Amino acid sequence: MNKTLTKYLPLFPVLAGYFLLFLVGENLEGKWQLIAMLAFYCAVGQAFNLFMGMTGYVDFGYVAFLGVGTYGMAIAISSWPDKGLGLWLLVIGLLMAIGMATLLSLAVGAVALRLRGAYFAIATIGVNEGFRYLIEGARLWNGSEGIIFTAQLNTAFGREFANVLATYWADVALFFIAAFAAFLTLFFLRSKVGYALTAVRTDEDAAKVIGINVTKFKIIAFIASASLAGMIGAVSWALKLTYVFPPDVFAIHYTVEAIIIVLLGGAGTLLGPIVGGLIYGLSKYYLAVILPGFQLLIFAPIIIMIIVLFPEGTVGVLKKKVQGTAWEKIIV
Amino acid sequence: MVYEQLMGNLIQGLILGGIYGMATMGLSLIFGVLKVVNVGHGQFIMVGAFITLWMFNSLGVNPVIAIPFSFLVGMLLGFLCYYSFVKRLLKGPELASLLATFSVGIILEETIRLIFGSEFRGYNWALGKIRLPFTVLPYTKLIAFSGSILVAVLLFLWFKKTRAGTALRSVVEDSLGARVCGVNVDWQYALSFSLGIGLTVASGVLLTMFIPVGINPNMGGQYTLKAFVIAVLGGLSSPYGAFFGGIVFGLIENGSYTLFALLPNVEPFALTRFLSFVILLVILLIRPTGLIRTK
Amino acid sequence: MPLLKLENVTKRFGGLVAVDDVSLEVRHGEIIAIVGPNGAGKTTLFNVINGVFLPDGGKIHFEGKDITTLPAYKRAPLGIGRTFQIPRPFGSASVKENIAIGGMFGAQGHSMSVDECMEMADRYIDLIGLKGHSNKPAGGLTPTEKKLVEIARALAMKPKLLLMDEAMAGMNPKDIDHMVDLIKQIRETEKIAIVSMVEHIMRAVAGLAERVMVMHQGAKLVDEPTKEALSDPRVIEVYLGHPPEGTVADR
Repeated sequence: MNKTLTKYLPLFPVLAGYFLLFLVGENLEGKWQLIAMLAFYCAVGQAFNLFMGMTGYVDFGYVAFLGVGTYGMAIAISSWPDKGLGLWLLVIGLLMAIGMATLLSLAVGAVALRLRGAYFAIATIGVNEGFRYLIEGARLWNGSEGIIFTAQLNTAFGREFANVLATYWADVALFFIAAFAAFLTLFFLRSKVGYALTAVRTDEDAAKVIGINVTKFKIIAFIASASLAGMIGAVSWALKLTYVFPPDVFAIHYTVEAIIIVLLGGAGTLLGPIVGGLIYGLSKYYLAVILPGFQLLIFAPIIIMIIVLFPEGTVGVLKKKVQGTAWEKIIV
Repeated sequence: MVYEQLMGNLIQGLILGGIYGMATMGLSLIFGVLKVVNVGHGQFIMVGAFITLWMFNSLGVNPVIAIPFSFLVGMLLGFLCYYSFVKRLLKGPELASLLATFSVGIILEETIRLIFGSEFRGYNWALGKIRLPFTVLPYTKLIAFSGSILVAVLLFLWFKKTRAGTALRSVVEDSLGARVCGVNVDWQYALSFSLGIGLTVASGVLLTMFIPVGINPNMGGQYTLKAFVIAVLGGLSSPYGAFFGGIVFGLIENGSYTLFALLPNVEPFALTRFLSFVILLVILLIRPTGLIRTK
Repeated sequence: MPLLKLENVTKRFGGLVAVDDVSLEVRHGEIIAIVGPNGAGKTTLFNVINGVFLPDGGKIHFEGKDITTLPAYKRAPLGIGRTFQIPRPFGSASVKENIAIGGMFGAQGHSMSVDECMEMADRYIDLIGLKGHSNKPAGGLTPTEKKLVEIARALAMKPKLLLMDEAMAGMNPKDIDHMVDLIKQIRETEKIAIVSMVEHIMRAVAGLAERVMVMHQGAKLVDEPTKEALSDPRVIEVYLGHPPEGTVADR
């Protein structure tokens, strides 16, 4: 028991932090949107980190998983609002989101994960656009018009509660997803999966010779990362906005942000994506006041600097500094 | 009727394919020599497009002049990128150079967006048309196609005949051996990278000669994907393979559009874009090193 | 039944025959040295045994089981361990973690938890004499220390056969002697067979190996007990580049 406590010690400050963030949002006037955005970036960062941070492979099409997750929830709500399912409708939507994201990740992974480094990146670069154009081209789920399901949500829950769901509970759910992502990250890091992925990331050929089935572990990380993204999309885009529109949910913009967050904070660590999410989210929010729309232009060169100068990211650098001290146990 | 439309589209596809091919040569050159995948490829094409736009609309300059000018701008950008970070990332994990070139693409896109705005722009270089069997071709497209072929031939000659080109080929074959022979490998890398970027930016000019509308900062992304499909079709490290891959791709793209347009209840343009992606995956599945065997 | 049996193994790269019709048997607990100049095909042979490359011809049997086409990651848990000529520990992981990883996916990996692997790693750290370096990132060690970590990592896999690629390259005589003692100790306590690849270090061959196999241009030239090999003119020719009599044969 003691061992488990020590192992999962780093999780407690994280959960406490999220709770604190939530309280700040609850009690400070008008800051809820900012807090929700921060939670979003932390969640997306952690989800993305599960794959890119742990394996060292970049999935340029990552936003596709957020997108299909959004569709999963949207389809559920718009298809069965009048079956008297109550909150189960949302559970179904969430499960569909996870299911669709998992299926897509299996389909993409079957091809892409056989490929090494650069070829993998090339394979994934069109996934989000490809899927978007599949939806639009084959006119799936209303094609390029997307789905607007505000009315259906009202039908299912009554106008008032539907409103609360979209404006409050969707964001609260995000906190839970972020907390779960943190738990999953630490679970991976402390288990054979994490060590296998470290080996894969560092030296894939040596890893094979040691007996590591690199493809299996890459798939595990890929699916985990994708299904988390699906959950985030279901909650943060579908439930919150009550519409889904292909060009929005498959925009490469979000993959860029995820990359920035993970690199800034520290790839492959527990705290990294959270730190990255907070820094990026706050910068974007406050930059929007003085220099709206500039944040990518400011962060892109920062990414290059990070890659060249300190690829381990903020938390990575911190980890090195606290090595040998007591802090080592928490800065993970 | 369909047959004629198909043939007409195929000819257009052939012409566009030549330009696509030339646009991809830079990508293949950079990967072949430096083993770096330029994920910001499409954005460099976009830069070339904007240079053409600006030169034509603001300075009244003929787009043909924009070609060498863009090439020089591209080479300058290439040297800048190489010496500021690409060089340092060559020995590191692949992930690093991928993300770095990706970030450069973002920087280019955002910079252009802030200077020119997000609207779709175009220019009108009316030179008249020429009648071909099955289709009508504006002279501008013909010039663009000829330009692509000319560039490809020039590149071929440069590699084969000049000292600099031969040195570069030696570096691809055996960088250690080349070093021993006195070749400055670092300079060759810098040169190849810049040449690749120069070609890419210049291809943006040719592309606008073919499609002089819809020029906007976000147009780069689709061309990156197309370039990858073409490069994988033709062999990722071979610039010549890329050229032929481009032609094949152009034919497939236009051909499939015609066929999709026949199906009910679909949007053919979107489906064509989806198809390119599927082709990419299929090729990567069967033979990642490219379908066409070229040296 | 021999532990490892190679039958007429051949590996080509384009027109180059890197391993040419090599047959070899390794018995349990044996120590064998494979010697030969650069380019003789030794590393390729190791890569084929490991599964990094699949052979173009011939068969490989391990404990009677045909592993010729088995993927690399499946061979390790059967009991084949490997160290590399230029050590490749996982740089960002600590010494302890490196060794533990060997245990996690090796022959006994299924039955060991992460914690148990970590404990096992401690024992191996003592064996290789790196006690104070347990938590240091492996990337920051000296080349000799990295080699030791690699060996410990391979041992943690609980192999029955350990392939050591140029384990003593670039070492001074004192370190070589230490390594020879370590290898002997490993054979005693772990009861494993060791196939050691050395280019020309006579000290290692003489003090360690029971049998010597000489490779030349991909083919097996000689395969006999060490005592005989050391005075075999063919072996001496490989080392000196010309027949011992001094006559220079045309090549």
